[in-house]
Amino acid sequence: LFFTLHVRGTRYSLPGKPTRTRCRSPEKETFTCWWDPGSDGGLPTTHALYYRKENSDTLYECPDYHTAGDNSCFFNKNDTSIWVNYNITVVATNALGSTFSDPVDIDVMNIVKPNSPEMLKVTVMEDNGWPFLRASWEPPHKADTRSGWITLIYEIRVKLEGENDWEVHLAGQQKIFNIFSLRSGGTYLVQVRCKTFHGFWSEWSSTSNIKVPDYFHREKSVWVL
Amino acid sequence: MYVAATCTAIPISDLLDRASQRSNILHSLSTTLTQELDTHFPPMGRVIMPRPSMCHTSSLQTPNDKAQALQISEADLLSLARSLLQAWVDPLLVLSTSAPTLPHPAKNSISNKIQELREHSKNLGDGLNIISDKMGPVAQTISLLPYRGGNDIGQDKISKLTNFHFLLSCFRRDSNKIDSFLKVLRCRAAQLQPEMC
Repeated sequence: LFFTLHVRGTRYSLPGKPTRTRCRSPEKETFTCWWDPGSDGGLPTTHALYYRKENSDTLYECPDYHTAGDNSCFFNKNDTSIWVNYNITVVATNALGSTFSDPVDIDVMNIVKPNSPEMLKVTVMEDNGWPFLRASWEPPHKADTRSGWITLIYEIRVKLEGENDWEVHLAGQQKIFNIFSLRSGGTYLVQVRCKTFHGFWSEWSSTSNIKVPDYFHREKSVWVL
Repeated sequence: MYVAATCTAIPISDLLDRASQRSNILHSLSTTLTQELDTHFPPMGRVIMPRPSMCHTSSLQTPNDKAQALQISEADLLSLARSLLQAWVDPLLVLSTSAPTLPHPAKNSISNKIQELREHSKNLGDGLNIISDKMGPVAQTISLLPYRGGNDIGQDKISKLTNFHFLLSCFRRDSNKIDSFLKVLRCRAAQLQPEMC
């Protein structure tokens, strides 16, 4: 076999070791694992993910290699348990043999990173002639916050257009937040993100832009009076 | 008499809200503790550490996904949370007596946090008792999950650290269960104010 693989003078080898096996659950109901493939050793190489659940000796293969894209494995609701360790190994195989990744142990309770909050709306409100911004949003639609199965806290950040630094505020479980002390006529950028109490922050949501009306004249006239 | 009268006046949704704040702290504390222990965990410990199925509470049948959790009645969910919490009274005491002798540079900080863990755990237990009294006999049922590990955490350095770490990781999973069950209960009780969830 080795001879035939060397006929063209190319060096073939076992596949490289798959690395960085990592998993994420967006809603405590499903999860996905990804890995970085190693070299293919110059030969057609396939990757397979195998897992064993705590309390069971049965070895299962990944139920779905397609839903989450290349080099990934998706576990749907039926394949996902929480408070149960999954021992996961990725195996790369070519004509010369197989190379195993380092195994990882995951429990869904430790890998929750929600999707970004949705429907961020920012409006200009007024309090005694002074404008303030009211931001409101919805949880990511996949997260079942209504039943309490997942509880999210939010962080909001605000930046005056053209400036470098964001002003960050923790909103707690509220899905509404008021921002005061605005610059007259300024355009503000607002984003929001979420996490469970014990999990990882989501990515920031898409940005909402809002222009604060010019209120300086009124302010000035008050001073003159 | 006055105290009892005041307690009964507090809506169950408020009590559950408070309880879930406590369980949140419990889980956060156990997470911090696990991270602290991890900084000086002997490599050998990872090899010899018992599997999670060896936790003394693993015989308790608890839901393993959302569908199962949402099918369980309020009284049964509360009973599960109380059984888990009750099962940790003894082992938390073992952790607190052995923490000062732990061969770990942060043993003082670890020791203090274990004390906090015990206090929060006690307070949460008291709170859940009040709630279960309101919910009726099913909620008052507790499954006994005796801890048979003894008072001794181990003799040599490695077994001390490993057993301590193992017990804490068991507690960490259980506190996450308790927290999740209480948050589901909290939202069921708050159905009239869905904005709470």
